[in-house]
Amino acid sequence: MDTIRLLGTGVLLHAKQMSRSPLEIVISLVDPLVYATLAVYLFRAGDEPHAVIEAAIGAGMMAVWVSVLFGSGGAIQKQRFQGTLELLMLAPRRPVVCFLPITIATAVVGVYGLLATLLWGVVVFGMPLDIADPAAFVIAVVGVVASLGMMGLLLASLFIMLPNANALANTLSYPIWMLSGMLLSLSVLPGWTTPLSNALPTTWGARAVREAAEGGAVWPSLAAAVGLGLLCLAIGAVAMTRMERRARVAATLSLA
Amino acid sequence: MVIAMTDLAIKAEGLRRTYRSRNGWLKPSWRHTEAVRGISLEIERGELFGLLGPNGAGKTTTIKMLTTLLLPTSGSARVAGFDVVQDTREVRKRVGYVFGGDRGLYDRLSGLDNLRYFAELYAVPAREQRTRIAELLELVGLTGREREKVEGYSRGMRQRLHLARGLLHRPEVLFLDEPSIGVDPVGARELRRTVADLASSGTTVLLTTHYMAEAEELCGRIAVIADGAIQQIGTAEELKHRTDGRRVLTAEVFGASEADLDRIRLLPSVHGVTVEDRGLSQIVTVQSAVGTDIEPQVREALTGIRVGRIDKREPSLEDAYIAIVTGVDRDADERTGGTAGVPG
Amino acid sequence: MTDVLAKFRLVGTGGVLAYRALFNWARLPVFIGTLLAEPVTQLVFFVYLGRQLGVANDTFFIVGNAVLAASKAGVYGGTMAVGNERRFGTLGNVLLSPRSRSAVFLGRALPYAANGLFVAVFTLTVGSLLFGLDLPVQSLPGIAAALVIASLTCAFFGLTLGALGLRLLDVWLVSNIAYVLLLILTGVNVPSETLPGWVQAIGDFVPVTHAAEAARLAAAGADFETLAGPLALEAAVCVGFAVLSALLLHVFEKAGRTSGSLETI
Repeated sequence: MDTIRLLGTGVLLHAKQMSRSPLEIVISLVDPLVYATLAVYLFRAGDEPHAVIEAAIGAGMMAVWVSVLFGSGGAIQKQRFQGTLELLMLAPRRPVVCFLPITIATAVVGVYGLLATLLWGVVVFGMPLDIADPAAFVIAVVGVVASLGMMGLLLASLFIMLPNANALANTLSYPIWMLSGMLLSLSVLPGWTTPLSNALPTTWGARAVREAAEGGAVWPSLAAAVGLGLLCLAIGAVAMTRMERRARVAATLSLA
Repeated sequence: MVIAMTDLAIKAEGLRRTYRSRNGWLKPSWRHTEAVRGISLEIERGELFGLLGPNGAGKTTTIKMLTTLLLPTSGSARVAGFDVVQDTREVRKRVGYVFGGDRGLYDRLSGLDNLRYFAELYAVPAREQRTRIAELLELVGLTGREREKVEGYSRGMRQRLHLARGLLHRPEVLFLDEPSIGVDPVGARELRRTVADLASSGTTVLLTTHYMAEAEELCGRIAVIADGAIQQIGTAEELKHRTDGRRVLTAEVFGASEADLDRIRLLPSVHGVTVEDRGLSQIVTVQSAVGTDIEPQVREALTGIRVGRIDKREPSLEDAYIAIVTGVDRDADERTGGTAGVPG
Repeated sequence: MTDVLAKFRLVGTGGVLAYRALFNWARLPVFIGTLLAEPVTQLVFFVYLGRQLGVANDTFFIVGNAVLAASKAGVYGGTMAVGNERRFGTLGNVLLSPRSRSAVFLGRALPYAANGLFVAVFTLTVGSLLFGLDLPVQSLPGIAAALVIASLTCAFFGLTLGALGLRLLDVWLVSNIAYVLLLILTGVNVPSETLPGWVQAIGDFVPVTHAAEAARLAAAGADFETLAGPLALEAAVCVGFAVLSALLLHVFEKAGRTSGSLETI
């Protein structure tokens, strides 16, 4: 019960902390809007008719991933710079409980991008907001936030072990967009990528959101997304505990 | 047996900590620095204990080992009755840690949100949170400002918020690592009063500082730490015995060189000389044996240099501290074969 | 003569030093990740998207994205050149240096252009290998010319953004928006004729648009006369941004000196 309260309050406050810089929010919205626009024109130029909403959702999901990739990937480093890392570690809690709210919050902030591309579609391209199953859509988005937040925890624990994680992060936007079938369809990718796609929570999450918007069986995809997320969480939790132990040996919790 | 052990708030035995730092990428070589070299301490419950020492003496490293943030390289410690390596969680529930400076807060959140978050982290029961936070805001004098974002807080306000954060879970042992650093004098005085109140209500406080006056005013016992080891331990009065039989002379001089100071150091009854730069002038402090008036000799040693005011007084805690710490430097120099202080 | 040499040295060493000191990508892994790997992943993404939608063939996206790859080094590099000098407080010295400002200036742009060219060539090579694109040998000079001019244009474009950054609160906001807008405006990833007229019109005045067109024509086997048109247009855009950036820096420097805001904003 305590833990659930902590997760709730933690997500809320970290999302608040991340949302308080208008500049950062604006910067984070530019990319998805440009991608959405590009996709709309590409779809229009293409052979098959594609709905604007597909472009909006695809670009929006891309934004959620980017937010998790950079936000969660750099989460530990950021706490260290703020001087809050030691204080989080000092709390009588398992490290995973301290960091999960942060990584989930990065997914929450990513949803701003999804909302922005949907709004952009309606306002700029006169897109009718035809969501097949609005309730399922909301649940799917919440599920995706949880799933990607858990994936983010794994990223956070892996990236902290790499000396040049930010360089790696820069290379991971497009590949995950592709492998998750955000914007483009998985059927055009070479066959050997299929197992990779299937292993990513992002693939199932994007599919669930798309199915909720366009009609389709949402729940199996959403269950897969959350299930894979939980797997990431389990691995991430173990990695976090190890990381903490190592940090206490190597004295890397503080900047000084 | 167990009860006897828990009578002590902190018990450290032979704590050591070595840092490894890496030099170079292609051919890495590891450099080992011994930050703490064998610290043993016993602090009673309810004590307000001071850890006094120059920068780099090992104060913060000691605190971090006692609060579980760092694993000791060797030695052991129990805090509030629990082992800092084995029973990490139990220790963490019982200690509060507050450090000086600007960092360690969520700047874009309000003071209240910062406290709410840490209250959750420390599992302060939901129904108590509101009153506990209100109580602490009152204690540190932030009532009415708690809804403002921390980024707009002054240094002093941040420091007080830090203190409130550290007290949320009613820690048995509170570690204060240079809490008054950069806080204005009025703020520092209020901080000292709050700390004194805490101690009188039964919280054990371990305070590190390099402000002598702060340590003298607050702490029952003080350990002077330098060069990674405790040099002397006792009440302020006891530490002052280090300077028993001494007098202190301070002289304001303009443009004295190391060689000039060394001439004073070589005077027969002089125990120690330190110098503090004050822009254009320097303040030279000379400790000497009581009974001889060394002013004429000092003036003679400084021939050719403009000398301003000269004062003579009884030694203070600061003089005792300097005597202890400079004594260490001399020892360390001898150990490493250093040549500091030798003219030429 | 010595004067010319001195000026040359200023362009050369001054530029390289500034580049080394201020360019945050100087670390190899960061350089590989940000400037080499990312443009390739972008190219792959758009090739597949193009295949899925049947908008254009692989060559369209490979050549286009390779030319666009030069822009990242230019846009962020140029912005950093000005932005970091302001942050480190050295900008005042540079702008107040009595030596010819345009020489200092060209020196600033050259390393970013060279870097951009390297990135573009790398992206084109890897992209062609990945998708089995066989560029005829006779198309290479034309493509090379397009890449060189595009790289220079991007570097001056970057300096222009950096100069704007002197005035605007955040340099990164400007360069982020500019960089991502190039994805659409240049017509590299969507055929320009499908874009609204006003977008195409803006596209004519940004880096890469004409160079990408020239490179595509070259890849399709066009002779040099056909390429000359778009190449000249790209060169014109290049000169335009060179003049604009010099002008902006000059104006803002003056304004900064009177209001004292050069170091403080």
